[in-house]
Amino acid sequence: MPETEIEPSRMRTAAEPLEAPPLATMLAADVLAVHLESDEAEPELELELGEAEVAALSRCRFESEEGLAGHLIVARLDRVAPEALRSTCVDLRGFLRERLAALRRQDREAAMALLEDVAAADPPSLDPVGLATSRALAREGLREPHPPSVVEKDEPQGLHFDSVLALSETAFYVRGWARDGQAQPVRLTAVSPEGSRVELLPGIYRDPRPDVDSFYEEPTRTGEDGTGFLGYCETRAPSLLSTGWLLEMENALGVAREVPGPQVSRDLLSARSAILSDLHKERRWDTGLMDHVVPAVTLIQQRLEEEAEIEQVWQYGEPPEAPAVSIVVPLYGRIDFLEHQLAQFVHDPELREADLIYVLDSPELAPALESAAGQLFELYGLPFRVAVLSRNGGYSVANNRGASLARGDLLLLLNSDVLPDQPGWLGRMTSFYEEREGIGALGPKLLFEDDTLQHAGIRFQRPPDGGAWENEHFFKGLHRGLPAANVTRPVPAVSGACLMIARDLFEGAGGLRGMFVQGDYEDTDLCLRLRQDGHETWYLPEVELYHLEGQSYALETRNAMSRYNVWLHTRLWDAEIEAVMAAVG
Amino acid sequence: MTGKPKILYVSHNHPTIRPGGAEAYAYELYRAVRDGGEFEPLFLARTGPPVSIASRYHEGTLLTGVNEDPNQYFFYTDTLEYDWLNGTPRGKAALIKYLREFLLAQRPDIVHLQHTLFFGYDMLREIRRTLGDDVPILYTLHEFLPICHRNGQLVRTTTEKPCREESPRRCHECFPEVSPQAFFMRKRFIQSQMSVVDRFLAPSNFLRDRFVDWGLPAEKVVFEEYGRLPVTAAPTRDRRRRNRLAFFGQLSYFKGVNVLLKAMKRLQDDGVDVHLSVHGANLELQPDEFRDEFAELLEATKATVSFEGEFNHDDLPALMADADWVVVPSIWWENSPLVIQEAAQHARPVIASDIGGMAEKVHDGISGLHFKADDPASLAATIAGAVSDRKLWDELQRRIQPPYAMDEHVRSLTRQYKELLATKSDDELVKPPAPATEIEDVRYA
Repeated sequence: MPETEIEPSRMRTAAEPLEAPPLATMLAADVLAVHLESDEAEPELELELGEAEVAALSRCRFESEEGLAGHLIVARLDRVAPEALRSTCVDLRGFLRERLAALRRQDREAAMALLEDVAAADPPSLDPVGLATSRALAREGLREPHPPSVVEKDEPQGLHFDSVLALSETAFYVRGWARDGQAQPVRLTAVSPEGSRVELLPGIYRDPRPDVDSFYEEPTRTGEDGTGFLGYCETRAPSLLSTGWLLEMENALGVAREVPGPQVSRDLLSARSAILSDLHKERRWDTGLMDHVVPAVTLIQQRLEEEAEIEQVWQYGEPPEAPAVSIVVPLYGRIDFLEHQLAQFVHDPELREADLIYVLDSPELAPALESAAGQLFELYGLPFRVAVLSRNGGYSVANNRGASLARGDLLLLLNSDVLPDQPGWLGRMTSFYEEREGIGALGPKLLFEDDTLQHAGIRFQRPPDGGAWENEHFFKGLHRGLPAANVTRPVPAVSGACLMIARDLFEGAGGLRGMFVQGDYEDTDLCLRLRQDGHETWYLPEVELYHLEGQSYALETRNAMSRYNVWLHTRLWDAEIEAVMAAVG
Repeated sequence: MTGKPKILYVSHNHPTIRPGGAEAYAYELYRAVRDGGEFEPLFLARTGPPVSIASRYHEGTLLTGVNEDPNQYFFYTDTLEYDWLNGTPRGKAALIKYLREFLLAQRPDIVHLQHTLFFGYDMLREIRRTLGDDVPILYTLHEFLPICHRNGQLVRTTTEKPCREESPRRCHECFPEVSPQAFFMRKRFIQSQMSVVDRFLAPSNFLRDRFVDWGLPAEKVVFEEYGRLPVTAAPTRDRRRRNRLAFFGQLSYFKGVNVLLKAMKRLQDDGVDVHLSVHGANLELQPDEFRDEFAELLEATKATVSFEGEFNHDDLPALMADADWVVVPSIWWENSPLVIQEAAQHARPVIASDIGGMAEKVHDGISGLHFKADDPASLAATIAGAVSDRKLWDELQRRIQPPYAMDEHVRSLTRQYKELLATKSDDELVKPPAPATEIEDVRYA
């Protein structure tokens, strides 16, 4: 087997079909690409690696009618390449120009696919940005460009790439429009800056764009599909660069156009807002758009959730030795509820024995809370803990993190804007729960500040045309003494504003599901999961607390999020809810 | 130091810093109890903005002395961080550190608060936790501040009429920027702090009823009128006509002075021979609208009304000497207006609004007269009737009872202090609480 050593490049002319010696370039600090010609099936490389070793090797082969086959070999090392190796490399542009740019289209595409494989491999390169930048350069050197799309009213093809929202390194939410007055488009491809190709047809959601359609003279041939497109898509390999996305369209006659895309937007919260507001285009919960919005928002929620860890825990006073109940109270946006709750809890010996855990879901308020909590403990003498999250995580996350600290066998989820009416409420709930076989969740009566009913159990209701199920409170707004609202009984669900559940059941169910956005429907979702496992939800009206609700979110944002939660909830539970409500009668 | 039980009086202001009825009474009570000899009283007066520009003088303490009296202290609080809605300071250091240290150093046997204003209602909780359950806590209610966010006046901002009943919704109507939920929380918060108080003292039955309706336990709220120090009564000169009126008090909207001026205008237009002297202060603190109206009305009635400006309490007998009737035209309920007692000390019949504490303290047709509150026409008619009937003044004046005396008041309070101490104590020699007769032989721990 002849040894092959890396030498500086030699010029090769058309008149001399000599074997091209190995030429190398660095694609990333730990990734090396080598091109050479050889008649061997899998030529070996001998590299001046020093301490480094080859962690993975990928190759592809370019057939040639005359002369030897070309080989592109990519080696990922286990560490940054040594100087000795790097000094034998040429720059990437030169490498591309000399060895790859003149290849046939299919070979160039194979080369780009090889680079994508390398970027998609696990474990990833130590220098992902370097690799992405190299891929982008390679894309420009190797890809097959299409004529640019020109937006004019008598142009048959029209393309526009509105936005790219990065949800992760491989997940994106794209929006734009694409129309063709000549023939039906058969391909719509989004190309990442690094060259990953994402075929948007047939799965992408099409929405009508009358504003675009009215601009053009010739109607589009997209059939019933709207001219616009939007939806969730994934790349095979991570895409890290913010500029360079492209959109390509090709029709049945082979006519293709392309258009550059926008800068990538990476802010998860504004992405979530934008994606949720797209749902305004639709009327029904079972719309195909949800097939895109759900994975997109679910992914955003997961990513936000991961970042929200418990950063600090402050203990005030001596914690009770063997607490029966752990009470978890999220604090969001304001901390004054702590003082108001303590001023009521102080009258109740049972609260002294409980494991009271406040979770700060607005970490910017940590300094103010730290100062207040210490002083309030001195004044009221009730032991409690405060867990501070590293970032805002949302209602589910705050409760789940608090529950992770719980020491009692029973968990009570409690909103910060809930105040007891009389002492003794916790003991009565605890006794009832412990005595009731088959119970999953327990909720008491909750009152508005004027003694009318805020919550007396939750049922589900859908409009007559079969729209989404919505959560409704039994007898909401009627007086606390209404006889029908004072019947202890199983109910379809209870409110998370005051919800008692065995800790092992809560943990077994995975806690509250973070897929819902900002505090709505997680409670009924939990109750339905419990029901699925054979546990009932009970309503206990003899226990009354005040729920001073509705003081957290502005109305507009609540509407967009509510719609999503409602539709997602029905998407998950339609059949079960129908069965539950049929039983309720 | 003296072996006598120590009683701590807490006031929201010292009357020498800025005059006011409740603080003047509090200070007089302190001195009277000291002179009475059975207790050793302390007087803790809050100071700082807005009543005084005094800032904290000394590092590491919020206390300063008051003149050379070793039993009087100023307690400085900074109201920048004060939550006016809930009546509590946002930072609690003043309570949990500085007040606590003061209480531990003094160890009073009884605490009698006149106010928690500027300290915070949660000062009650701090007192209870520092001194323990055996120290009786009394609280004299001077107005409706715990009930009503509008400076304790119980006057609706929507109609400017007195308010009969608070609720989260009604309070929100008066203050649209504060939600009903916030008012609900305010009430629960204040009531929670007040639950540590052993006894509330109400200077009028009207006020007592309002607080019991609001939710204070009825057995905890006891009627106890303000006691007044003796004065030399102003002489009553013989006059053919009893047509000289006087107004004494703050020149504020709630005191109804503009209602009185409007009545005087009507009387002037009707040619009734009557004269009014207006004695009052704090005009500069009032909103522009009120001041403008006051100035206009003064101008329109300059033939029959003279504005005498501020008055010194020491000059009151002389000023009363020149008056036949004292008018108390407040548009708010009032509690027990000190001026009514002062008029009684000088045997001047009072013409008062027919609502609240005024209606309770002035006996219509017996020793004074009522008019329809906030109604200049009714007031004018009442005045016209009063000045035209020569015999009426004599009859009313004859039936005026002297006001509750300070030494009687101190005796009553002393009895209550001992009764509460006894209830708290384990001592078997203690007698159970007794009704209003003097009990000299109760021993206490």
